[in-house]
Amino acid sequence: MSNNNTRSHRAHKVIERMGKKLNRQMVGSLVACVHCGMCTDSCHYVLTNPGDPTYAPAYKADQIRKFFKRHYDWTGRVLPWWVKARSLYTDEDLEQLKDTVFGKCTNCRRCTVNCPMGVDYPTVNRMARGLLVSVGIMPEGVAVVSKDQWEIGNQMGVLKEDYLETLEWLSEELEGELEDPAAVIPIDKMDADVVYSINPREVKYDPRTISDAAKIFYSAGENWTMPSEGWDMTNFGLFSGDDDLGGAVARRLYDKVEELRGKKLVISECGHGYRSTRCEGQNWGKVDVGFEMESSVVTMLRYIKEGKIKVDKSRNTQPVTFHDSCNNARSCGMTEEPRELLSLVTTDFREMYPNRAENYCCTGGGGAMSMSEYTPRRLKSAKVKADQLAATGATVVVTSCHNCVDGLGDLIKHYKLNMQVTQLVNLVANALVVEKKLAVAVPVMPTEAAAPLAGVTILVADDEPDFVTFASTVLEDNGATVLKAYNGNEAFAIAHSGKPDLITLDISMPGKSGTEVFEELRNDPALKAIPVCIITGKPELRKLIYERAVLPPEGYIDKPASEEALLLNVRRILDHVHHRTSA
Amino acid sequence: MADILEVNGRKLRLVKGDITDLEFESFVYYARHDLALGSGFGTAIAQRGGPEVQGELKRLGSLQTTDVVVTSAGGMKAKYIIHAVGPRFQEEDLENKLRTTIRNSLKTAEDSGIRQVAFPPMGAGFYGVPLETSAKLTLETIRDHLSGDAKLTDVAVCLLDDRELKLFRECFASLGNA
Repeated sequence: MSNNNTRSHRAHKVIERMGKKLNRQMVGSLVACVHCGMCTDSCHYVLTNPGDPTYAPAYKADQIRKFFKRHYDWTGRVLPWWVKARSLYTDEDLEQLKDTVFGKCTNCRRCTVNCPMGVDYPTVNRMARGLLVSVGIMPEGVAVVSKDQWEIGNQMGVLKEDYLETLEWLSEELEGELEDPAAVIPIDKMDADVVYSINPREVKYDPRTISDAAKIFYSAGENWTMPSEGWDMTNFGLFSGDDDLGGAVARRLYDKVEELRGKKLVISECGHGYRSTRCEGQNWGKVDVGFEMESSVVTMLRYIKEGKIKVDKSRNTQPVTFHDSCNNARSCGMTEEPRELLSLVTTDFREMYPNRAENYCCTGGGGAMSMSEYTPRRLKSAKVKADQLAATGATVVVTSCHNCVDGLGDLIKHYKLNMQVTQLVNLVANALVVEKKLAVAVPVMPTEAAAPLAGVTILVADDEPDFVTFASTVLEDNGATVLKAYNGNEAFAIAHSGKPDLITLDISMPGKSGTEVFEELRNDPALKAIPVCIITGKPELRKLIYERAVLPPEGYIDKPASEEALLLNVRRILDHVHHRTSA
Repeated sequence: MADILEVNGRKLRLVKGDITDLEFESFVYYARHDLALGSGFGTAIAQRGGPEVQGELKRLGSLQTTDVVVTSAGGMKAKYIIHAVGPRFQEEDLENKLRTTIRNSLKTAEDSGIRQVAFPPMGAGFYGVPLETSAKLTLETIRDHLSGDAKLTDVAVCLLDDRELKLFRECFASLGNA
């Protein structure tokens, strides 16, 4: 207990710190609400929980407003009973607040655009998150990710050597594919026209987005580079409300671009990363930067318009729709560029309704993907988005946000929609007409090319016989020896007896679940070093990634998995492990 | 400006980099009460150090705030890790607890025969100790310790980025003038 015996130390600190966070924008949103109800139908949580008023944005804001009024507004100090002012007293009060601000809002800001009074509830919500984080009250996943970004420098705890090895591997792949020694991913090149920053999810789980971007830069003849450090353009400070983290992360990236004397920072497709880096980071970090910043969507569009790259839209004929990331569209106004780009690289675009600034959240925003305790709520609220997607009749949903890729992927599986999620970079790369710039004699290594997985033993663990057959065939065709398991118990036993070089593991299996098998593998001294590639679309995966009782999996692939994705990820993981053990 | 200060014949220095990848005899890890490595630097220790470190920690159980233990560093460049449970998130009596944690880290290192220790900016970052407070307490406490009958010969404070380095340098400069 603190100053007196009626208020906990943490509650006291939350109230005290609130005073430092109040600016005109914040106070305006705290005092202007007239409870007209216009925000209510804007919120995907309300629409999917119509009988529960605790999801209404005005109600949620009132949970913060009441202690603001009690301590910082004269009406609440003089007439608390009249304006419903109430202080915070106990740690239980703070836990309740945590449930509201982290568990019942994705900070999507759809309520804001529909508020006639200009109340920006998500900004207030973010402040309240930051107040709770400052006293150590936050979901476990938020703590894990924040600490990774503070100390490792990126949200997913990717170590520098792992990042560089992945880029090196992708660079070699690119050089081989394009048969040009100049087709490389340059690291820390000085005076580049473009410094390209990415989301750590790309390194860890979606390396194809990096190689696709590299192919586009190469084709455009761009003078570009990727930084060896300070490369993460995401910023968990936006989600956790921790302005200090927001500033530190943004400055690491800005400092690196300035150290490299880069002329322009291009930010890969990530909604919150774009908003944090381009729009918020300079305020959080209290710095001005001397270079331009641009979304890779704008960069790709510019390349096509300027004739730097040629595309053939007939390569993307499947019906596609576009999901606007909340941070890109509502907070940064980027709504037309992705649509223009889509019109240039696809043949069958179908608009989603509502769209642009009125589009619904993917329901995984605001850090929700890292908070597994709220997964059932998140997926329930995703019904709005699922209905919206289904109504388009598209089989592919495109989005310019990695977070949305995960959020949409989860809800597509949950609501059994026949759709895939992809990003503009993948579509542009697929439509790219690559002109080989240099004919050079490339040394041929027939054995390796014919059987890149020769000598490798892989355990495929999945209860779907069709998938086991598919994966086994692909892997065996590439030279691997495949062991097969059809349930969790069998997978664990065969891992012990067969000592594979890699395990592909389905999460949903009879007997021991894949999650249990995974944790047991990681805790078994004889098996913990075996890399694991999770193959699933189930939300339980988030727990493995974000709430780390054990080291996270080395990779994951969404089902249905393509031959290309399976091979790319398996080879990347094996190459990575090989580098590590031979170092 | 030199980032090395000589105190009583011993070195106190500032370095920039990843503390878990430093060529130094030992480093301090700002540990949890349950000694689970967790994320952040804990991720790096688990990955670079291997299972040995976690195995030792499991046998040690849990600690109170300001307690410190030493383990090996497994396959890392350092030989030892000093796991120090410091105060966090604006808790009561934070500055005194932080000073005590730093002192206990220095003393525990010496009792273990260690001569070189690298510190992170203690408590700053995720645990929310303001960087200015961390710089002042970390540097002053180390300097005071080295001024006495210390067995340590070389103590570093390892900063992750320019923002941290700049602030520690300012504090370091005033330390030298004190």
